[in-house]
Amino acid sequence: MILDHQVFQRGIDGSLAGALSAEEEQSLRQHLATCPSCCEYLSASNRAIASLGGFSFQVDPTLNARVMAALRLRAEEGRRVLVRPHKQAQRHSVPLKNWAAFAVALSLSFAGSGFVYQMAERLAVPTHYVSAQLQAEIVVFWLLPSLCAAFCLLAAPREKGIA
Amino acid sequence: MESDTQRIARGLRRGDIAVLESLVEQYQFRLVRYLVSLLGRREGVDDFVQETWLRVLERGHSYDGRSRFEPWLFRVARNVAIDAMRKRPMLSLDASEDSAFRSTPASSEPSPYTLAARTQDAERLGHSLQTLEHVYREALVLRFQEDLSLQEISAIVGAPVSTVASRIYRGLATLRTQFTGDAV
Repeated sequence: MILDHQVFQRGIDGSLAGALSAEEEQSLRQHLATCPSCCEYLSASNRAIASLGGFSFQVDPTLNARVMAALRLRAEEGRRVLVRPHKQAQRHSVPLKNWAAFAVALSLSFAGSGFVYQMAERLAVPTHYVSAQLQAEIVVFWLLPSLCAAFCLLAAPREKGIA
Repeated sequence: MESDTQRIARGLRRGDIAVLESLVEQYQFRLVRYLVSLLGRREGVDDFVQETWLRVLERGHSYDGRSRFEPWLFRVARNVAIDAMRKRPMLSLDASEDSAFRSTPASSEPSPYTLAARTQDAERLGHSLQTLEHVYREALVLRFQEDLSLQEISAIVGAPVSTVASRIYRGLATLRTQFTGDAV
């Protein structure tokens, strides 16, 4: 019988914690209807739970205002951080030296391609190397990478001045 | 039809101050109550409250609106408190359950639990709440004051449901002794 009470008292704990199934709740309710000992256990548990609301503390009436002020400030800072890169992007323009570097790189690309083609063709003739294939390889492995590098120079951001 | 939680999630994703203001109004008391129960003291809680809301603003996009807002808010608050305690390891919240975290007031001000003892003429109850380990007190407050389910508490404290249930049972058993006089 004591064991039964212990089982049901664990059930009461489980019920209060919200861990019982509907069937277990039903079974517990039936037992409580006939068991003063378990009813007393439940009553003590409920008083213990009610006591949790007994501790007192005050919420500072200015707390909400302070929190909102901090939130507005942080939100404003966040907006400034978001806006800054956008403005920088709008201001971004390609400086003259980048254009010059681009022009040099472009010239070197074509001149270098031509030179490499000439050299390769001279070397390829004795071995019956197909000319069209040679041209394609030069375009893919020399001219395109050179052009990419030249355009990268254009897209490079401006250097920041030292304050 | 957009539910309340979806409206909150949308507002937080946009960083909408009006939505945050209504959340502060609605949840401030419960947030303070949870942090007081977690820390076992009133002192310094306002700083944690403010930091919690700032974190809500910054990480609000991670709230998806599919579950209730309170558990998510309490989890944020808990993380804020734990981060702060890690910087002051003497008050670590990460201590194991066995190494009792006794809530020690950091100042000479009476703790909320001492005040409870005075105002309710229930010194033994105040003492019991005061000395209850924070993990038990936290589980009890989340379950019985915040009315959260075991699953929601589990998500907040980052422990399995069975562990949360066990903490509630042990916390209840400790408090119950004040009303029955039984040994635990």
